[in-house]
Parts: sequence; C-alpha cells; structure tokens
Amino acid sequence: MLRNSLFASGKFRHLPAIAIVRNSTRSSSTAKPLDAGTQKEVLHHENHASEWWNQNGTMGALHALNMIRVPFIRDGIVSRGTVKPDYVNTTKVLLGQNILEVGCGGGLLTEHLARLGAQVTGIDLGEKLLEAAREHLKCSSPELTTKVVYKMEPVDQHAKANCECYDAVIVSEVLEHVNDKVALLEASVRTLKPGGSIFITTLNKTLPSWFGGVILSEYVLNLVPKGTHHWDKMISPLDVQRILDTSKFIQGFIVRIALAILIPTPVPFFTCSSVVNCQTVLVNGSTYDFWSNTWRWINNNQMCYALQAVKQPHREYN
Amino acid sequence: MLGVLRIQGALASTGQARLLSARLLASKSSTVMATNRGESTQAPATEHFDIIIGGGGLVGTTLAAALAKNSTLADKKVLLLEGAPEFRGFNPTGPYQNRVSAINHNSIELFKSIDAWTHIESARYKPVKQMQVWESNTDALIQFQHDNFASDVACIIENDLILDAVYARVKEAANVEILNKARIQCVRLPRDSNSNLSELQLQDGRSFSCDLLIGADGANSVVRKEMNVDVFSLNYDRMGLVATLDLGEDACDNSVAWQRFLPNGPVALLPLTDRLSSLVWSTTNEQAKMLQALPPAEFVDALNEAFCRQYPRVELADKAVQALNSLFGHNATQHQVQYPPRVCGVQDKSRATFPLGFLHASSYVCNGAALVGDAAHRVHPLAGQGVNLGFSDVRFLVESLAAGAYAGFKLGDKQHLIKYERKCLAKNVPIMLGVHGLHTLYSTQFSPVVLLRSLGLQLTQNLPPVKNLFMRGAMGQ
Repeated sequence: MLRNSLFASGKFRHLPAIAIVRNSTRSSSTAKPLDAGTQKEVLHHENHASEWWNQNGTMGALHALNMIRVPFIRDGIVSRGTVKPDYVNTTKVLLGQNILEVGCGGGLLTEHLARLGAQVTGIDLGEKLLEAAREHLKCSSPELTTKVVYKMEPVDQHAKANCECYDAVIVSEVLEHVNDKVALLEASVRTLKPGGSIFITTLNKTLPSWFGGVILSEYVLNLVPKGTHHWDKMISPLDVQRILDTSKFIQGFIVRIALAILIPTPVPFFTCSSVVNCQTVLVNGSTYDFWSNTWRWINNNQMCYALQAVKQPHREYN
Repeated sequence: MLGVLRIQGALASTGQARLLSARLLASKSSTVMATNRGESTQAPATEHFDIIIGGGGLVGTTLAAALAKNSTLADKKVLLLEGAPEFRGFNPTGPYQNRVSAINHNSIELFKSIDAWTHIESARYKPVKQMQVWESNTDALIQFQHDNFASDVACIIENDLILDAVYARVKEAANVEILNKARIQCVRLPRDSNSNLSELQLQDGRSFSCDLLIGADGANSVVRKEMNVDVFSLNYDRMGLVATLDLGEDACDNSVAWQRFLPNGPVALLPLTDRLSSLVWSTTNEQAKMLQALPPAEFVDALNEAFCRQYPRVELADKAVQALNSLFGHNATQHQVQYPPRVCGVQDKSRATFPLGFLHASSYVCNGAALVGDAAHRVHPLAGQGVNLGFSDVRFLVESLAAGAYAGFKLGDKQHLIKYERKCLAKNVPIMLGVHGLHTLYSTQFSPVVLLRSLGLQLTQNLPPVKNLFMRGAMGQ
C-alpha cells in the first residue's frame, strides 16, 4: 500500500540523487566550507548552546522528546534481534551496539543511548554545541565518558572513514534543518552495517505541522526559538521513504546514467555501496502536548513522525 | 505612581533580602557540609548508592522490596535508612498487635508481585466480607459487599506482619542494604538537572550520595522540607485510639467491618479473628486521652455504648430516608442497622493514640528526589486509605523508575519522575478529597447537613452502580 502510493505519486526525485554524487566527489578535499544555509542553521543552534541542557528552557520540548524517541530507537534495535535476550528489559539493553548520531547537538539523546550501554559517536557541525555536550558529559555523566565520542565533522566526511561500521544511525530532529537531505541520508546509510537501522525523527510537511511547529510553538507560545523551523525544509515521511527505499538496482542505474551524462571522465568507484537501499519498517506519528510538556504517539503522522528503515544486505544486480 | 514605584522597590528589596538570606543559609549549610567532610577525612568518604530510601516504615520497606524485585532496576544499588533499631521480627503465634491496616485489592496485588503475599497468607490475616457504615443521627446506612460475598472487600493485616514479609524480601535481595538507627541530619539536593547527585548526612556523621533520594520518612519528612514544595496541611484536632478487643461468644463468624459516625468522629471495629477485633476510634483529643486512661471494664462499656447508644435524631432526615427507601420499593426491615458483636474485653496495654491530620504536598518530585506515602500525603483513617495510597505510590514509582531507566534517563531526572507524580496525583487527590469531605460532612450535627448526608448515603446504598463505583475506588480496583 505504502509502496503503491509511493510510486503512484510519481514524483521520483532524480536530481537530488545526482546532487549527492556531485557532492561526494567534491567533498574529497578535506576542509570543505559550509554553504550559507547550513552555516546559518549551525549559527542559529549554537546561539542556544548554553540553554541546551536546561529542561525548563527553550529546549524543554526536546528534553521531553526523549521519553518517546529513546524507547522508539531502543525497541527498534531490539526488534532486529541483535540484542542478547538477557539484556532485554535491563539498563544495558544496548550493550555492544555501535551507534552514530548525526546532528547530536548538545548530546541530549547521545547520553541517554550511552546510558543504555551503547557506544555512541555524536557528530555535529556546531563547535559550541559540541563544547556544551562535552562539558555536560564531563560534569554530569562522567561515567559515560568511555561510551561517548563527539566529533565535529560533516556526515559525508565521517562516512568515508567509517563505512559500514554502525549498528544504528540516528538522524533525530535534524532533517528539518538540512537543505540536501538526500546527501545527508545517503552518507548516513553508508556508515550503516547491512541489516542495521536508520532512525529518523522530524516534522512532517503538512499544514497542521506548520501551524503547530512554527506558528504556535515559535511565535505564539515561544516554546522554541524563532526561526528554528522553516516550511521549505520540512519533509514528509513519503519523501524520506522515497530517498531511503529506492532499491539499489534502480538507483544504481540512475546514478550510472547520471554519471555518464554529467562526468565524462572515468567514473569514480565508491569504496562502499553508493546507493541507499533501505527498507522502511516503521513510521509512527507523534504529537506534542505543550500544556503538559509531553510527547505521545498518535494514529497519524500529520504532525511529527519517527521512522525506522533497515539497510538491506548487498546483492549484486549487475 | 510614585507610591506604586516605591512599593515595588520595597518589594524588590525584601525579595532581594530573602534571596540573600536564602543564599547565606545555603552557603552556611554547604560550609557545614564542607567542614563535616573535612572532619571526616579519617572516616570513610561519602558512599554512593543509586537509590537511597529515607524511612523504613511500611511504605519505604515495601518500596525497597519492589525495587529489588524489578528486573530493569536489578543492577541499581539501593540503601534503606531506618531510624529505629533493627526490626524485631514478627511472631505469628503471639498476641495480636494493635496497629493493623485494612489492605485493599490493589495493595494485595503489589504484595503478590513482590512474593510477599504467601508470607502474609501463611501467617495470619482476616478477610473482610462486608462493611457496614451507619451514623448516629439518622437511620441512614450503607453496606459494602461483593455479590453473594464472593470475594473479600479488604483484608485486615497487622502492620508488623506486613513489615516482616517485606523485610524478608529485602534481606534476600543482593542489591539492597539496610541501615538501622540511621537518622537523617541534613539533605542536599541538586539545584538543577546539571549537578547530578543528592547528598545526605546522618546524625552520626556518615554521609552518602545518590542519584535519587526517596522520602518515605512520614508526615514530618526531612526530604520534603529540603525539596521546598508547598504543603497543604490541616490538623483535625482529633486523635485516633487503637486497641485489640475480645469479643463475646456470640461473635461466631466475625467477618464484617463496622463503622459508626458519632458526633466526635467515627468508631470502627475491624475483625482480626473469630474472637478478636481491632478498634480505631477517632475522637477529640480530650476524650481519646480519657478513654485511654479508663480502667478496662469502663472502657469496654464506653465502647459498647458508642456503637449502640441512641443519639438525638433529626426527625426530618429520618423521614426522608424512609421515604427514599419506600421509593426504591424497600421495606424498613431490609435496611435495618445490624449491630456489631458485643465487646467483652480489651487486651492489656493494647490501647494507644495517635494524632490525626490532613496533609498534601503540592509536588511529589524534584530533580534528585521523590516522595512516597505519608511524606507526600496523609489522610483521616476513616476509609482505611492512608497506607493503601502509599502502596499505590510504590507501584507507580517503581513502574516509572523502570520505564525511565529503560529509556536511558538518570534515576533522579525530573523529566521522568514527573510521570510518577502525574499518575499519583490523578489517583490520590480525588480519594483524599473524598475522605476529607466525609470527615467534614460527618463532624457536624447541623440538621440540613445531616439531611443531605443521610439522603446521599441512602441513595448510594440504593443505587448499586454508584455504590460499586465508590467501592471500586476504595478497593483500588
């Protein structure tokens, strides 16, 4: 049903797929300057670095989100069957899991996952945010210092050195701040072991989510700093699935054609699978009750959603 | 305008002064802590536990047992602090204790879940099949029972037996330590979510730190004072008198709990065995002291009189109750007051009194601390709800802590503790208001109020769905 509607809508995005390729070829030079849009987003979030760990401040909703996103990720990982049965229902449930958190910010989610036993790498582009994250880790959760690594690195660069080495990749409340979502997701999935899961939480691109997530929370209730969310950067779950679920065959085909057209010089061979090739297994809708500062799962994903997709094992089509 | 400004200025300055004094106090207490720490360089340093429970009463000890039993929290180190010397244990063949509790279904489920129920069952307890509540000024009465007495309304269990059962579970647990004669001197809680440990110092100088400090230290909770929450409390100026009573030969099947509202407060008989009952008599402070001091024979007479004496009746209310009963098609005989078995004697030294009051903390949690049981709420014993509310707190707290820990939260993080508070408030506040309301309603002889309460009681008695609603609420189902 989902797939049907996906293909029926027929909005296949070829262009972004090409964009990744160009991006990834270009990014071979190490110190790549950030584009203006990304820089603006990073600055915006860095301005709130000192507020990040204040539960009663502007990050209150993000703190509260942990109540549902940690169980979502935890149960998603458990459902893959890679967790020892003895660990289930204990606080070391994620022991032995290697997790990458893309856009970790001040480390709200990172520490929670580490506290469940996971080895977590948090990457972000905001230096001040990472400073806040490291500071909090050192002062408030010193027992987790061996479990957490924070790095200032764009994900495509991280993916080069860490190809297929994570059991789970988390892109939580990040996608709505990124211009090139395809590049980000593609690079994130590249770091994932086959069979590993990518977890995404973000806002939907609907009128209710725009009204609730931008108008109400930024301009009326002041729950979130103004200018945090933008309509044009929000993405619907179907679009996320379209990026993730495209099979290797089809996308590989497109990529090859695109490369052939765009780059007449010898086609670069990627060290690992250059295409996404995931299977979405779960999309849950959620909403935020500002009066009680709680998130809850709901029956539709008109507001926000959490998505889990599993990277399919390699299969050669050509 | 100027005046307003000046007032504001004054307010601001008093505010500042208060802030300053608070800061001074804080710095003072911290220096006290610091110097104490300095002194204790030769003594062992601050010992760390994941959870410290302050207060090893019924609720605190049950909480320790429930924490130990929970598989998610099995790796947490728990310390139970109790001011009293080591618990002497319970002799199931000895004389009956005077402090008993009416334990409802919900609490029994808790005991079953921590494997303490078999211990209680194999010792002694009395199931109550029916409850009768009536009053002194009219004929209105209400009876609670399950259809055909199919199951128990509640169980009367001695407090020491419950303690014995849960202590046995706590002692089996590898991750729980018990420290007796441990009185808390001072407590320091984390100011925000970033500083992470709660610290406390005992009167003997030992100090401990923990992720979560649980205040189970009763109505005068030290932990609650440090949490700085608003507390609503009322002193009822009443005392509860407890005693163990011998019944006569005619009490063949003693399985009914009786409660009669007298002008000074309710008097209740709770069955212990076929021949023994426990008394809870709430009355004015003077009368309670007087009753406690009476010679046994006179005390027994006073008690029998309390249950049988005819008080001045409110005619109108009586007629209204009769009219209501006939409206529902009942004749008078169906709603006749049954009288409790005659009390023959009171056991030696079993009489004791305790003050009654109402207390509710506006918040049960903060970063690094949580309250359970009487530390958070205290009610009149007339509905037997006090300790049952405490046990329901225990269930909610263990549930919330397990869910929080399994979601990677620190144990003391207010973010998940607030869930515990929400569940508790939703359950406790209506019950507490109800109990307080009953107390207020029945402490007057003002005719219109008597009329209304009698009609209300009789209407409830005649409308089974409404009655079942109340019964389920009281039994915690």
